[in-house]
Formats: sequence, C-alpha cells, structure tokens
Amino acid sequence: MQAQIMEKGYADALVIGGGIAGLQAALDIADQGYKVVIVEREASIGGRMISLSKVFPTMDCASCITTPKMSAAAHHENIEIMTFTEIDSIVAGADGHVVSVTRKPTYVNAEKCIGCRLCEYACDSELPDVFEQGLGATRAISVAFTNAIPQKAVLLADYCLSCGLCLRACPTDAIEFDQRPRQERITAGSVIVATGFQLNSLTVKPQYAAAQNANVISPLTLERLLAPHGPYGRVLRPSDGKIPDSVAFVLCAGSRDQTIGVPYCSRVCCMYSIKQAMLLAGSLPMADITIYYMDIRAFGKGYEQFYQMAKAMGIHFVRGKVARVDAAPHDDLLVHVEMTEEPVDCVRRQKHDLVVLSQGMIPQWNPAGVSPVHIGEDGFVATPDTADPCATNVPGIFVAGAAAGPKDIVDTIADAGAAAMLAGRYLADRAGKSRTPPSAAGRSIRLEMAV
Amino acid sequence: MDATDQSYAENRGAEPAGQPRVGVYICRCGGNISDVVDAEHAAEICWHIPGVVVSKVHTFMCSDPGQQSIIDDIHGEKLDRIVVASCSPFLHELTFRGAAIRGNLNPYLYEHVNIREQCSWVHKHDPQGATAKAIALIGAAVGKVRQSRPLEKIRLNNRRRALVVGGGPAGMKAAADLAGTGLPVLLVERTGRLGGKLVSPQSLFPTGIGSTQILEKLESDVRSTGRVEVLLESEISRVKGFIGNFDVTIRGPLGPSGALTDVDVSVGVIVMATGFQPYVPHDGEFLFNRHPGVITTVDFQEALACAPEGKRLVVNGREIRRAAFIHCVGSRQIEGVHEPGPDGRLNKHCSRVCCTTVLNQAIQVRRRFADTRVYDIYQDIRAYGRGHERYYSEASRAGVIFLRYHGDERPLVSAAEDQSVHVSFKDYLSWGETIDLDVDLLVLAVGMTPGPCGRIVDQLKLPRGEDGFLQEIHPKLRPVEISVNGVLLAGTAQAPMNLQESLAAAGAAAVKARAMLVKEQVELNPYVARVNTQRCEGSGECIGQCEYDGALTMVEESPGVRRARVNPGLCIGCGACVAVCPNSAIDINGWRVEQYDAMVDGLVLQNQPA
Ligand SMILES: Cc1cc2nc3c(=O)[nH]c(=O)nc-3n(C[C@H](O)[C@H](O)[C@H](O)COP(=O)(O)OP(=O)(O)OC[C@H]3O[C@@H](n4cnc5c(N)ncnc54)[C@H](O)[C@@H]3O)c2cc1C
Ligand SMILES: Cc1cc2nc3c(=O)[nH]c(=O)nc-3n(C[C@H](O)[C@H](O)[C@H](O)COP(=O)(O)OP(=O)(O)OC[C@H]3O[C@@H](n4cnc5c(N)ncnc54)[C@H](O)[C@@H]3O)c2cc1C
Repeated sequence: MQAQIMEKGYADALVIGGGIAGLQAALDIADQGYKVVIVEREASIGGRMISLSKVFPTMDCASCITTPKMSAAAHHENIEIMTFTEIDSIVAGADGHVVSVTRKPTYVNAEKCIGCRLCEYACDSELPDVFEQGLGATRAISVAFTNAIPQKAVLLADYCLSCGLCLRACPTDAIEFDQRPRQERITAGSVIVATGFQLNSLTVKPQYAAAQNANVISPLTLERLLAPHGPYGRVLRPSDGKIPDSVAFVLCAGSRDQTIGVPYCSRVCCMYSIKQAMLLAGSLPMADITIYYMDIRAFGKGYEQFYQMAKAMGIHFVRGKVARVDAAPHDDLLVHVEMTEEPVDCVRRQKHDLVVLSQGMIPQWNPAGVSPVHIGEDGFVATPDTADPCATNVPGIFVAGAAAGPKDIVDTIADAGAAAMLAGRYLADRAGKSRTPPSAAGRSIRLEMAV
Repeated sequence: MDATDQSYAENRGAEPAGQPRVGVYICRCGGNISDVVDAEHAAEICWHIPGVVVSKVHTFMCSDPGQQSIIDDIHGEKLDRIVVASCSPFLHELTFRGAAIRGNLNPYLYEHVNIREQCSWVHKHDPQGATAKAIALIGAAVGKVRQSRPLEKIRLNNRRRALVVGGGPAGMKAAADLAGTGLPVLLVERTGRLGGKLVSPQSLFPTGIGSTQILEKLESDVRSTGRVEVLLESEISRVKGFIGNFDVTIRGPLGPSGALTDVDVSVGVIVMATGFQPYVPHDGEFLFNRHPGVITTVDFQEALACAPEGKRLVVNGREIRRAAFIHCVGSRQIEGVHEPGPDGRLNKHCSRVCCTTVLNQAIQVRRRFADTRVYDIYQDIRAYGRGHERYYSEASRAGVIFLRYHGDERPLVSAAEDQSVHVSFKDYLSWGETIDLDVDLLVLAVGMTPGPCGRIVDQLKLPRGEDGFLQEIHPKLRPVEISVNGVLLAGTAQAPMNLQESLAAAGAAAVKARAMLVKEQVELNPYVARVNTQRCEGSGECIGQCEYDGALTMVEESPGVRRARVNPGLCIGCGACVAVCPNSAIDINGWRVEQYDAMVDGLVLQNQPA
C-alpha cells in the first residue's frame, strides 16, 4: 500500500546536511529573515566537525566551537531541523523546488522524549559506537552523543532485542515500536546542498595492510583518541591498549593516486596530520612522531607558521613515498619508505607502533536519480560558473562546503556564507517578480521535530 | 532575529524584588575543565557563597540539556541571577544570554566566568590551585551579579546602505550580491577602472577561463541592478561612526574646474575589499632589477599575453631557450635566511596562489613554444584546490622539469657571461646534488603581501594580524568579520586567496552585511558610560580623558547648567571617565563601581581558609 505523503508547506530555503557548512548556510539565510529547514540524515546535526578533537590552526576544542553553531541553529526562530531524514527527490515545481523526504523511524516519540537516557541505561543490547569510531560501545537505543542536538533517543531496529526494557524505563512513554517511515513533502524556494564528504576505505591500498593490523588506523580514530572526552580519555593503541611511543603518519594514503580513482588532493590531511602530531607530542612527550609526505600543503592563513612550529617541536618530517606497511612482532609495524631526499635506491624500513593513514576525501552524496544537480568527474557537486563558485547547474540550487570538493572548516564557512548570499539574491529576485512571496502568505511550516 | 526579545519584555525593566537568588553552573567541558579543576568540589563550595541557591555541574553546559537546566531552574527555583563557569565568554557568553532570554530573564543578569582558559588550561599541573582559583573567580562573579541591574540593548537607527571599498573581483562581487537583494551600494575604487588584478588579461587556473570574461560577467552584475553607484579614481578620506551609522567622506577625481571633489555619505556597513599587493623583490634579490632576464610572475603574465607565437618564447626582445621559475619569492620567509621588508616584517606566510600560477604559466610556455625548456624550482607544490592537481600532472606531461630546494638553502643567482642567468642550488629530487643551470629567463613567483588599504584602517582602528593582512575575529569561525562591528572583510584584504576563494569570501561578507542591513535598527551592547545627572556638576574632567571622538560632550542644559552627555553609539565603555570624575557622577552600565567592589569581596571571601 502506498503510504500517504504529508505536505509540510513552504520554506524559503531547504539545506541538505547539518554539518558546519549546512549550519552556517542556514544561519546566514535565516539572519536575512528567511525561513529555513535543515534536513540531516543522522540522528544529530554537527557533521564531521563535532567529532573532531581540536582544530588547526587555532587548536580550539572542536566541540566547544561547534556546539554554539548547532545551538544557534536549533534555537533560531527561522530555522527548523529535521534529523534522521533522507532526501528522496527534488523536482522543479511552480512555487519552487519540491523536495520529498523520508523521516526514518526512530521508534521514539520526539515530542515526548526528554533526553533523560534512562532507556539507554536500561538497554541490554550493545554495539560499536559509531561516534567513537567503534572504540567504545553504545546501546541499541541511545542519544547519539553527549552534546548531540536534538537530545532525543533513537532506537536502531537492527540491534533491538525487543526485550521491552526501554519501554519500562522510559518515564514519558515515548517509545513507539510501531513507527514506520513517513514520507513528507516540502516546497523550497531555494536549496543548499551541504552534504559534505566521507573518507575512502582504510583498506583501499592493500599494501598498507590496514585490514590485517588493528594498529593501522584512520585519522578519525585518532581524532577520537585525542579528544578530551574521547573513549579512553587518553591515547592508547587499539590492539593491546599500549601507550604508543612511535607514531607514523602516512600522507596521501588515499589521495593524489590515479590507481585508486582519487587523483586529486584532499586538501586537509597535511594540516590535520600536523595538528594530530602536535597534540600527540603534547600528550605523549616521549613519543617519536614521524610524518611521511610528498608535499606539505600548508596554504591557509597561519598554516605555514603552524607547520614551522611543528618542525620546531621536534616532529620529524620525512619526504618519501610509503611503499608498504608490514606487520612486525608485538603488534608493531614496519613502514617501507622510498626516500626521495637520499640516494635513489634507498628504501628505509622504520618500525612504528601506531600508523595513521591519511585517507582520501570523497563525496558523501550523489544527487544522481534524486535531483538534476550535476557532479564533476571527481564526484563532487559541479560548480560551472567561475564567477559564482557556489552555484550549481540548477538555478536556485546552491552548494556549500565539502560537498563541492575537500575543504577545511574556514573555507567551508566562507563557502556557506557565499551560498547563503546566492540564495538570498535568488529569493529576493523571485519575490520581486511575484507579488506575493509564498512565505509572506503565511504558509510557512512548523515541524513537529522542532527542537 | 530578536523576536525572543519580546518574551522578556514584560519583566526586563523590573528590578527583581527581594534578595537575589543566584544559580551557579559549572561546566566540565567534556574534560577540558574537569580533568584539572575539581568541578564537583567547586560546586559543593559554591553552595556556601551568599545568595547562591542552585549549584550544579554539567558535562557540556553549552549543549541543549545544559542550557535547558538553567531555564528550568529559573522557573522552578525562582532564580533571578545566573553565573556560568565554563570556557571563554568569547565562545559562549551569547549562548547563555540566549538561554536567560528563553527563561524569561533579563540577559544582563547573567555573568560568565572563564575557568578553562584561565584555570584548567593554564594551571594544568596544579589541579588544587586551579580549583581554588576557579572557586575564587566564581565567588567574584556571584558578588558582581548580585549587584547587576537589568539592562537593555541600545537601539539606534540603521542607515540601510553599504559602502564597498575596493573595486577588484571581491569588491565587485560583494557589491553585486548586495545590490542583487535590493540594497543601495556605493563602490569606491582607487584606480580608473574596476577589476583589480584581473585587469591584465590572462588565462586563469583552474578552468582556463579568460580574466576578461570573468570581469565582464562581474561588471554586468554590478551595473545591471542600477543600485550600485560606482566611484572611480576615488578614495575614502575620512570615516567615523559605528555600525549602522558611519559618516564617510569620499575624495573623488579632480573636477573640471581642477578642484578635488569631496562627497559626504552615510552608510550602515563597510566592506573592505582592498585586495593585496604582489611582493616586490628587493633590489638585487635574485638579481631582480639588475638583470633583464629576471622578472616576476606578475610581469611574466603580461609578457606571455603579448609574446609572438613561434618555436621559442621571446620576452623583451630576448629569445628564451631556457626559462626557470623559483617558487616562494617573498613567501615562507625564514628568520636568519631572508631579509625583512622595509617595514621590518618577514613574510612567513604561504601565499597560496603562486604554486598553481607557476604551473599555469609553465604549461602555457611549453604548449606554445616547443623549443623553450622550462625548469620549476620549488619547495612543495601546493596544488591543493579542486582542479589544481591536474595542472601539476599536466605540467609534468608537458615536459616541465621539476627541481626541489629547501627553504633555508636559497638558490644562488648570478649573471653569466653570455647574458644568461646562472642559478645554483641543491636539488632534493636528485639526492641533494648541486645543480647549476644557465637560463635566459628567471621568473620569480612572487607572493601576496598586505595592501595599504588607505586611511580607513587608522581611522576605524582596524586591526592587522602578524602577517599584516586585516585580522578577522576568529580564523576558523568568523573569517569575514573584524573586531570593529559593522565592518566586513572580502577577499585578499584578509589573506592570500585565489579568485574563487576571494569571490566566496566576498559573498560571505555580503551576507553578513545584508543581515545587518535588513533591520530597521541596529542593536548595541549596553555597556556604555552613564551620567548621574543629580551629581554631575559639569567639571568636564571626563571629557578631557575620553579618547573616543564624540563619545562624551558637554551640554548646556539650561543657562549656567552644564552636564556631560554620552553618545552611546560612540562610547566603548572603557571607563577612563569614571576614574577622574570628582563627584563620582559617571559609571559604566554593567560594570559599576559597586560591582567591582563586590567582585573584590567575592574573591577575598573565597580565599579565606575554611
Ligand atoms: C580526520 C580529520 C580531521 C580534520 N581536522 C580539521 C581541523 O582540525 N580543522 C579544519 O579546519 N578542518 C578539519 N577537517 C575538515 C573538516 O572536517 C571539514 O572541513 C568539515 O567537516 C566540512 O564540513 P561540511 O559541513 O561541508 O561536511 P560534513 O562535516 O561532512 O557534514 C555533512 C553533513 O551532511 C549530512 N548529509 C550527507 N548527505 C546527506 C543527505 N543525503 N541527506 C541529509 N544529510 C546528509 C551528513 O550526515 C553530515 O552531517 C578534518 C577532517 C578530517 C577527516
Ligand atoms: C601573478 C598572479 C596570477 C594569478 N592568477 C590567478 C589565477 O590564474 N586564478 C585565480 O583564481 N587567481 C589568480 N590570482 C589571484 C587573484 O589575482 C586574486 O585572487 C584576486 O585578484 C583577488 O581579488 P581582490 O578583489 O581580493 O583583490 P585585488 O584584485 O587586489 O583588488 C583590490 C582592488 O581594490 C582597490 N583598492 C585598494 N585599496 C583601495 C582603497 N584604499 N580605496 C579604494 N580602492 C582600493 C585596488 O585598486 C583594486 O582594484 C593570481 C594572482 C597573481 C599575483
């Protein structure tokens, strides 16, 4: 039976993705006086940034500078947030872009849930905590993470034992096992694509042996290990909990490489590796830290100075291409490097007890089949107009942040502002043409997921 | 934005009756604080501070549940004063003021204590000391907040028009964006035409599009709305005022009568799009200015544009068999290796665009002139942007020969006998071997240095960073805002950027400008001087101390009765006037002398041994 589609009315702008790009774009549009809806597929907004430790080059704690943005968006009178929601289609309509979404079932009534987490404490089913990169466990029903917004529990049906413990623990009777996916439709004057990036697989280069060795890790894992409120509260390597004393960073381990289909530069790895190296040097003063690189691309404001500071702190920068990583006794690793600064046939073998691979950044969302937005040959959203770097091929649909190619936070923020400006211009232009702008006609929406 | 303001309107003016009831909230900051400061112990002690009726600890006060607990207690515990001890007020003061507003409390009955930067981070190795200091600071804040009075934002009329300074790509984009939403804009350009550095025709990376084409698009965007007034050959000669109310004098070109034309305008926001200056090598730096075969990438751009087609590149009448580029000239400078500029500053920064500019130029040479060899002498190839890496591989394919030097071992350049230039350096792509090259043309890839920006910088006291570029408020989160409210930064005035990045920054600046200009009124913090008219006898001492033009004036209220008057738009609340008033007749809202006294008492009280 075809489920009924609920019409949710009109919003001036619909932002896809609640990462820093989406939040900033939403705030900048809302501050111009427009109504905005943010659609986020995960249980909380915040994107990648909320899970980082500290951010280069200011070394601000990432939680501390992301939560104000999350909170500002959640409390803005012009912004509504739909989490746990997927975009099904975007088609042109008479009043704007008609966006169909699916609200995935959380099995928790968001209006009743008070975020007390009693269900989480009661639940008996454990699974790896995605937010902690699998380093800790979470429950089948839980609030996504400490500073998640909204603070509402979500139940993952795949892991639920249907034991009913949560049902009994919930003080507000918020748990609803019978929820089903709901289809809803919003008409949006403009759309911002802010769907961000993901990392390509840690095992994309088999010669780095990540599949066989627990101590060959993702930089995201290291972010969590370094976060003050991370899973262990300190840096321990995964295989045996040993405090590492020799850490290697392998740059370009998933980028600038034709053979894996990522010929481009991922743009942030040099800098976050330097940042992570500096944080490690702070928490493990005795550890030896080596960064294997091809070019150090410290191009942003203050970045070169940050790089020089890392060198002065004693972090080793070794120019060479890592050919292979092999397992060594005691869970250690042997890194084979072709040294480009020493005689040509010099391949050095260096032992480390933790290896971090800079995975490449690839797009998180492909608009194909959902909307007519084009992508470039790198898979990221295409921006055909040099004079308007945030415009896509579709009038009224704009792109911000890492959705249009790898980008660090500051470039993402600038981008989001530019996209919000284009949306503002587009809406003002449309309002100028039609006498009654739809939002002025009082059709703007109120969503039940209001935070 | 502030419909929420209405909700506290009903009690915002009213002084809470009876003894103040203070709530203290201590944040663990996910461990950033509580790993050092004993937050639970501090909360325990705070119960004993006079006036405190709630004392709590939370993992992230700034999270929604953290804020909600404040709101709940305002209602449940009848709190009328709030103290949050967490990170820097720079990050979260506004967050908690917002929570107070949502709890229907005047937001200025809230005090922020920084126990992260000022306790846990600086006293990492002294947890006890850090905890004691945190308690003392909270004690001071409780003392202060008990003396706080409800305040209201100052609301002033907003002149809803923007001034954009600089008619390069960034300025044009900001002007077009603002005008495109219906706002009137004044675009002031120092030279005789719009376009900035794009005026000289070139093929731009990363798309190969011509700069002329981009400029035409931008210019038609600027002109099409009819709302941008473009003033060429003009500069700002005087500016004063504050957000929503800037008074600006623009000096235009010589008029027909030979007189300078000054125009006075008033605007609500100012967008600084004054751009960059290419680095100019010192006389003799790599033989610059001493040898006809040594030029910069900027000059080479033009040389390339007008070079006749042929087997070999010809520059200034000289046939070029071999050309070499040296990267990072005037960028990534190192103390002890490079000479500081005339202002004594080293350019330690990376200029971001030079690497791909070199690749772009090198490819063009190789494509057009088969018999001109090209060497590229670099440190790191920073082809970071979308589409840039393609230029790198394309250059390799086109036969550009790459050589790598180390920043602290600069290539040595000397004149060779046959009019060519001799370059000698250690190449780290061939194992540190010394390479000696004779080339007919040496192109210096010059970096970006800060532009002079004009008088406006001094007049508005716009800060510059260590690198000399205009300094944003926060390099991560607020890149287009500057500490002077109402002024925004667009493009390379703030930092090196390529064209697309400059345009994005310009859009970001424009959107902030629009958010300021959509409001009928501007809102300013109420922390300004206030004159007690009962006590003021018009001594004028305060006016002598005031450093802010127009912030304090003496007004003859009636014959013989003179009193000081504050202009709340211009006063910054520095307090210089407070210290000199013989009658204690002037004070700062939110920072009254009694509040300081109470803070000192609070500090001392907490330091008594229990
Ligand atoms: C290990 C690591 C460390 C880093 N450290 C730093 C640092 O120190 N400093 C710095 O400046 N940068 C750093 N970065 C880069 C930073 O993470 C990015 O700049 C930033 O996250 C980009 O923000 P975004 O909003 O564009 O994308 P994202 O953070 O990826 O957010 C995208 C959001 O969109 C949502 N989404 C995606 N598709 C859909 C869909 N179809 N429907 C609905 N929602 C969707 C996602 O769930 C997500 O919430 C680091 C990156 C990595 C990998
Ligand atoms: C050699 C070279 C090649 C480049 N090639 C490329 C490329 O291929 N692709 C690319 O993307 N980028 C390239 N760039 C970068 C590009 O030039 C800049 O990103 C762009 O010009 C920045 O624009 P802007 O408006 O910020 O500054 P500018 O172009 O510097 O414009 C600033 C404008 O402000 C005016 N001005 C300054 N002060 C005042 C004042 N006080 N009052 C009034 N007006 C004032 C100036 O006269 C000027 O018109 C290149 C740069 C160089 C040096």
